[in-house]
Amino acid sequence: MSSRKTISKLAAIGGICTAVALVATGCGAGGPASSESGGSSINVLVEAGGHAELQPIADQCKKDTGVNVNFVELPYDGLFNRLSSEFSSGTVSFDVAALDSVWLPSFKDALQPIDELFTDEAKKDIFPSLVKEANVGGHFIGMPAWTNAEIVLYRKDLFEDSKNKADFKAKYGYELAAPTTWQQYQDISAFFTKDGMYGTDVKGGVETEYLAHVLQAGSPMVLDSNNNVIIDNAAHKQALDFYTSLAKDAPAGAAQVDWAAAQNLFNQGKTAMTRFWAHAYRQIPKDSPVYGKVGTAPMIGGSAGVAGVPGPWYLSVPKATKNTDAAKKFVKCAYDHNDLAIQSNLGLAARVSAFQKYQDQPGYESFKPLIQTLNAPATATRPATAKWQQIVDTVLVPMLQKAVAGGDSATLLADAKSKIQALLK
Amino acid sequence: MSTMESPVIPARHTSKGPAPATGANRRRRGVNREGLEAGKRSTRTILWILLAASLVLYGFPFLYLLFTSFKTPIDTIAVPPTILPKEWTLANYANALGRSGVPASFINSIQTAVISTALSLVLSIPAAYGITRYKTRSGRVFIMAALVTRMVPPVAIGIPLASMMASVGLADTPIALSIAHTTISLPLSIWLMSSFFEAVPQDLEEAATVDGCSRLGALWRVVIPVVSGGIAVTAIFAFLASWNEFLFALLMTAVRSQTTPVVIANFQTQFGLDWGSMTALAAVYSIPVILLTLLLQRKIVAGMTLGAVKG
Repeated sequence: MSSRKTISKLAAIGGICTAVALVATGCGAGGPASSESGGSSINVLVEAGGHAELQPIADQCKKDTGVNVNFVELPYDGLFNRLSSEFSSGTVSFDVAALDSVWLPSFKDALQPIDELFTDEAKKDIFPSLVKEANVGGHFIGMPAWTNAEIVLYRKDLFEDSKNKADFKAKYGYELAAPTTWQQYQDISAFFTKDGMYGTDVKGGVETEYLAHVLQAGSPMVLDSNNNVIIDNAAHKQALDFYTSLAKDAPAGAAQVDWAAAQNLFNQGKTAMTRFWAHAYRQIPKDSPVYGKVGTAPMIGGSAGVAGVPGPWYLSVPKATKNTDAAKKFVKCAYDHNDLAIQSNLGLAARVSAFQKYQDQPGYESFKPLIQTLNAPATATRPATAKWQQIVDTVLVPMLQKAVAGGDSATLLADAKSKIQALLK
Repeated sequence: MSTMESPVIPARHTSKGPAPATGANRRRRGVNREGLEAGKRSTRTILWILLAASLVLYGFPFLYLLFTSFKTPIDTIAVPPTILPKEWTLANYANALGRSGVPASFINSIQTAVISTALSLVLSIPAAYGITRYKTRSGRVFIMAALVTRMVPPVAIGIPLASMMASVGLADTPIALSIAHTTISLPLSIWLMSSFFEAVPQDLEEAATVDGCSRLGALWRVVIPVVSGGIAVTAIFAFLASWNEFLFALLMTAVRSQTTPVVIANFQTQFGLDWGSMTALAAVYSIPVILLTLLLQRKIVAGMTLGAVKG
């Protein structure tokens, strides 16, 4: 009998719970319905890290335009899957999406042109490489929301130490200072590799840094303007040889080092220098041993001069949205108030004027090197091919991992060429 | 096992004939008893060691997660990593729970898991009962077909399911996600419930029908109380499948129905990984499941025993 009573109780509780849940299900707990047709409320799909950038802008836009913004945050990998899924189904649950630059060519057919927002004045205030990248197939399909580039972060305290300065000069014959050539970078890396510390890191798990070296060596990255695969040319080999040469002054296990690992190493005080995205300067934890001891410098140039690979994100309006007007209002408003993003803890923007407004303020020392890197003539965005992410994941990163583990660069590049050609067929 | 058996062998030899109760025999029996006890002790020790090893193997990742949730930001990324926090802090919990959308995501997770569990039970109990009691050919085909659906990768049906839900106006609702989760848990629920129903003798139902029960009455009044432990086990599996599910939640939820696993994943961003907040939210998120398991512990054990005595 007791068993029956228990079952009855459980059934009753289950029934009540189900009823309550079913009633509550009608609205969910998160907020208003997705994509309210014709309303002044829009849903903005954004990678979780980008939400912080856009929130102050959304608050301002609500005051200016009356458009209320609901953010849908997703993790980076999930965002691409979600976008692919919704674009392929033809129905979207969002009105604006923040897209990584490498995704623009993949989704170009699902996005509305926003040419009217790219006025001459706007084009002057956006970094040239970003203006070029936003134009896919003859139309502007994304407004830059924020951008990033790798710069050099170094341990100011170690560089200013009098003993280090004297020892360095005695050994290399010139003053210890932030490196401006790759030879200096190599010398400084070797100098600080001692007593459990390393001069720099080598990232085998990500491709962007290697690609920046390719640009510095004077070649387009991987594909030329006609989409021919040129990864086996002299510049790519030179860049790869230099990239792997730094491994001797870097922590072991370079093949597994990605952005997070490299950032950890630097913030833990294990490396004296790192080439890293500029936002990392403002993200050093206050309890880090290097907090307040870090200097910044522009990315270093090669034979083609200074060059970096920008990492912008764009605000785009899907063709399938029912709220085109409100969506475009928000995109324009986001451009108008782009500088508000700098006040977020990530502190990035897309407009040149926004960075310039803050570049001389304390805490924003990374901005001048960032502007210099982004404005450098050799700086270029990644090739505009829908297959780019696949090329990175299946060819470039595995190739780098083998290279930093001691693989022959010429063989690896030749192998990579044939694989990329097969992907592009 | 060998440690237990070897001391017993001499005792069997002694029982074959009437051995005189000499001092030597008494001493030998004493030695045999001691040997038996020593064997039991060593077996118990080995079992305890194995149990402790299993506990560490399963428990350490969770303990590490728990300790990390109390670490300072720099401590969470220490190279080499440390197990215990150098400095204990609750800041990660404040940060994680104070993040917008977290309370709503908890409610969504509960709604989704409860509905999905209820759907799984409501559908699997009659299905399993019918299959086990009527033993038709179509029933056997059905149960095999249910198993086959477990072999389809969820990612393959995620996008079509999301499109279907959107087309019937259920986009971004917990009910849509619950239905999707039921597609994962239902086959396993049917299989589990079938094995539990198989273990119930048909005589019980026949006795109930002799006493005036209808078939459904016998199911409700006799069979279901007997398999209540099995139902608890099935409910736990269905609840966990929904509670921890990520892929469908990622593809099918937005503003209104985002569940906590997606929110936890959002701590990994393009700009870095907030280990402290991520582990804090994961620790909090695991509490309801731990409580539920503890609450239903006896039922779960009963359910497992029910399956074990089958046949």
